[in-house]
Amino acid sequence: MPKEISRRRFLQGSVALTVIGSSAMGKTNFIYFKKEKSSIPESITTKTSTKKAEEIPFLCGICVNKCAGFARVEDGVVTKLNPNPYFPKSRNMLCARGNAGIQTTYDPDRLKYPLVRIGERGDGKYKRVSWEEAYNAILHGTDKFKGLLQILEEEKDNRSTIAYCNGEGLSKEGFEVLMGEKIGTVNYVDEVSICLETTLGGYFATIGTYGEADLSNADYLIIAGANRAEAIITPDTMDLFKRSKGRGLKTIVLDPRFTNTAAKADRWYAVNPGTDLAFVLALTYVALSEELYDKAFIKKYGVGFEAYKNHIISHKYTPEWAENITNIPAKEIIKTAREFMSAQSPIYYQGRRSVFSKNDFQLRRAMAIFQGLSGNLNKKGGIIYGEPLELPEEEINSPIYNQAQGRFDKHNIAILSQRAGSWMVFRNMVVEKKSPYPVRAMFMRKHNPIAGVPNSAKTIQFLKQMDLNVMIDILPSDSMMYADVVLPEASYLERTSPVASYGLLEPAIVQRKAAIEPLYETKTPEQIYKELAEVLSKPLFEISKKYDNELQEEVKKRGEKNVYKEDGYILSDAWEKDVAERNRERVVKAFGEDAWKILEEKGVYYSNIEKYHKQVNANEYQYYPENKKKYSVETDNIKLVFNFRHLADIGVDSMPTWKDEYLFSVPEGKFRLITGRHAQFTQSATTNNMMLRDLIHTNYLWINRRIADKKGIKFGDMLEVKSKVGKVTIKAYPTEKIAPNQVFMIHGFGGLSQDMTMAYGNGANDATLLEDIHEPVYGAAVMHETNVEIRKV
Amino acid sequence: MARYGMALDYKNCINCKACEVACKEENGVELGAEKHRIWVGANDVKGEWPLLDIASAAFLPSQCQHCEDAPCQEVCPTNATYYDENHVVRVDSDKCILCSYCMNACPYDARYVDDRTMTVDKCTFCSDTRLARGETTTACQATCPTKVRTFGDLDDPNSEISELLRTREHFSLKAHLGTNPKLFYLT
Repeated sequence: MPKEISRRRFLQGSVALTVIGSSAMGKTNFIYFKKEKSSIPESITTKTSTKKAEEIPFLCGICVNKCAGFARVEDGVVTKLNPNPYFPKSRNMLCARGNAGIQTTYDPDRLKYPLVRIGERGDGKYKRVSWEEAYNAILHGTDKFKGLLQILEEEKDNRSTIAYCNGEGLSKEGFEVLMGEKIGTVNYVDEVSICLETTLGGYFATIGTYGEADLSNADYLIIAGANRAEAIITPDTMDLFKRSKGRGLKTIVLDPRFTNTAAKADRWYAVNPGTDLAFVLALTYVALSEELYDKAFIKKYGVGFEAYKNHIISHKYTPEWAENITNIPAKEIIKTAREFMSAQSPIYYQGRRSVFSKNDFQLRRAMAIFQGLSGNLNKKGGIIYGEPLELPEEEINSPIYNQAQGRFDKHNIAILSQRAGSWMVFRNMVVEKKSPYPVRAMFMRKHNPIAGVPNSAKTIQFLKQMDLNVMIDILPSDSMMYADVVLPEASYLERTSPVASYGLLEPAIVQRKAAIEPLYETKTPEQIYKELAEVLSKPLFEISKKYDNELQEEVKKRGEKNVYKEDGYILSDAWEKDVAERNRERVVKAFGEDAWKILEEKGVYYSNIEKYHKQVNANEYQYYPENKKKYSVETDNIKLVFNFRHLADIGVDSMPTWKDEYLFSVPEGKFRLITGRHAQFTQSATTNNMMLRDLIHTNYLWINRRIADKKGIKFGDMLEVKSKVGKVTIKAYPTEKIAPNQVFMIHGFGGLSQDMTMAYGNGANDATLLEDIHEPVYGAAVMHETNVEIRKV
Repeated sequence: MARYGMALDYKNCINCKACEVACKEENGVELGAEKHRIWVGANDVKGEWPLLDIASAAFLPSQCQHCEDAPCQEVCPTNATYYDENHVVRVDSDKCILCSYCMNACPYDARYVDDRTMTVDKCTFCSDTRLARGETTTACQATCPTKVRTFGDLDDPNSEISELLRTREHFSLKAHLGTNPKLFYLT
């Protein structure tokens, strides 16, 4: 029967989505100030004209996913972003955020000019300066803060006294080159240790890849702790929901709360937070005890199968055992295991995003093993190994700094990532003065650790403790408020970015081209790296010369000019050519001139694109013909490591093992705080986006309706939520979509920066409440182990 | 000359609202949570945790139904609401006097007031933007991640929408009212 839903019903029915006429909106002037020769639109939404317009291929930067589109540009104004039908990853779509990306570029609160702090940290008092003055302030400091020169002098050229962080993006590698390779610090932290580190680690350690889930052809899906309807990943989201609901892909969802993904499921299991591991172990028990696994596959690729089988059976990881732990009935576990193993193409979805509990690495290992037991790897409808398109590496001439000391954020961590360590462990050791040498400067780019890393108070303390904080960003984020020097970056519609390769099953090269010139006085990241490097080069070399004996020897032997140039001390030499030129060189080198022409025009290239790419219907395209897709490839990477013996040497269980400490329990009167995503915005980065604010204006605290009734809490009531490390206030949303002993809030709200006028003070920041708990393998932040108290205020 | 309609594979909808934003950006729709030409209806799930009725949580994408017998057009005292040459229900802002009869008459609640133009506004099937440029999809169709919509000419037997309506079961909203909507929900 058709449902009849009116606009009013919609407004009333979906509370979390529509709040009208907030005070912040009322105060904001919706008309942009028109500058001479500016290309800033006069109104927020610009109706597209009937004229012909430029269509510039771009790669979306509003989240980490990377969808391709064409920007419609009329008289220097981006009036519309349309999906790019040539990119196999995003398959001709842009989500709500992708469409609203225009509003990031034209956000009136953008960082428009370089700034230098004149007030106290956090109070938002800055002076507009020229780029030259800003770079010089980084080098020499002001009366308010120390410069890099003084800091490095005092630390005798220990470059690791400088730390840096960067969020995901196409210009991230360039920042790593500047800070890590050229300036020479080892202390780098990024989003991986507050995101999917254990997932990647667990999958690579077990099956040799993270892979791609071929959801277009799978017929059975277990999707646990991944909310693809609201945390959109292409092509997974698109493929999944076209075939769910009895249309070929049976979908089993595990999530403590009823998400939009659960709304699309055949079955939804309200699993207790942090207990998925017991569920997977019990599935495995059924598969092993009933001998439902792919014996030929295991014989060929398995490592330590017998040991794992004994391990699972002897520990009695039975469905009955798991029922009590997980809140999922034993008979449902048995049914799911049998269905999975008898399906033609079953997938236990790898998931992404955060580390939920301390056992996350072992959970991902167990999931990968269970997938492997089905034998559904490296084949159509399974986990795909595939073949990415390779772009030529670029050579960097990195100087050697003998005074630079090593990483120290290893406390209680088994495997320290060499590239970017553990944000939380690093921060805590610095704050608690446990680092073997002082960390005195923090360079941040496109990253808001105050909102992203659990225990915001400690992040603020960390930033306050620095002698110098530098921020490169588009908007004045919470963390920017603690910066001494602020360098405004061009948004993703204003810059050409380094080419990138995406996809394993249907691989492609993709390029983001600048749709318009950078607005205001903003610059592209690569331009900033180059100019900052130019200013720092000589003075920093002088410091090294003073403290580095080996460098002194070299200078004596070969002459200063030669050493300076040949050994990479000219820090800006990594950016001698601009991005567009480097893109052209790399693409031509790998794929030829024609490839470059296609990439320039379409934004996407793969071999035979012109032959293979065909429109199937008004909405869908063929990217590769069926027999050219990389369903099965010859690779040595395929393996199925049941027993990873080496792990035992570093104190990690060599086989996934349940421990009583993983049990879910909440003290009487408290609630477990869980957090998650929403399809209409990306963490803290889009809360100032005017278009998205129409769709979701603030976050709410989900609380079970019956519990709320008992406590006299009604929709919209203001609640104080308190944990061991912080407290916030947030409006209540009583609902049956969550368990009585849990509460949920969307991550990313609760902005502290007054300069983000739309986001400031809106809702609550979960990082303020989350305790700084990390898992033992990589030191990745654990997001779902904090209990909170609630009080109506 | 065409008779435009839209088929919606509504089971694909994940309530992501890409359509709503694409529509606003394409057509310069006024900002504000109530100002939208397109929306997704979402019901609160029925039941008590953890025994929830999954089917009760369906999403229903919606917009102006472009009825063949549109009550809004019938009641308009100034003929501001009219059918254009492609059978699309349009509003002439010069004639609109904001009497709001159309808003009350519309059984689908598809209309709202644009405070800038002081006109009752609604979906135009991108007639004065994309279609005017010769494009063949609406903004909402083109952007949709799960490809809910197929837009096209109902009078052309070879169009994709005609083919879909011939081969797939479908229903209309509030069919009993006799408005003859040109939005078709595929089952």
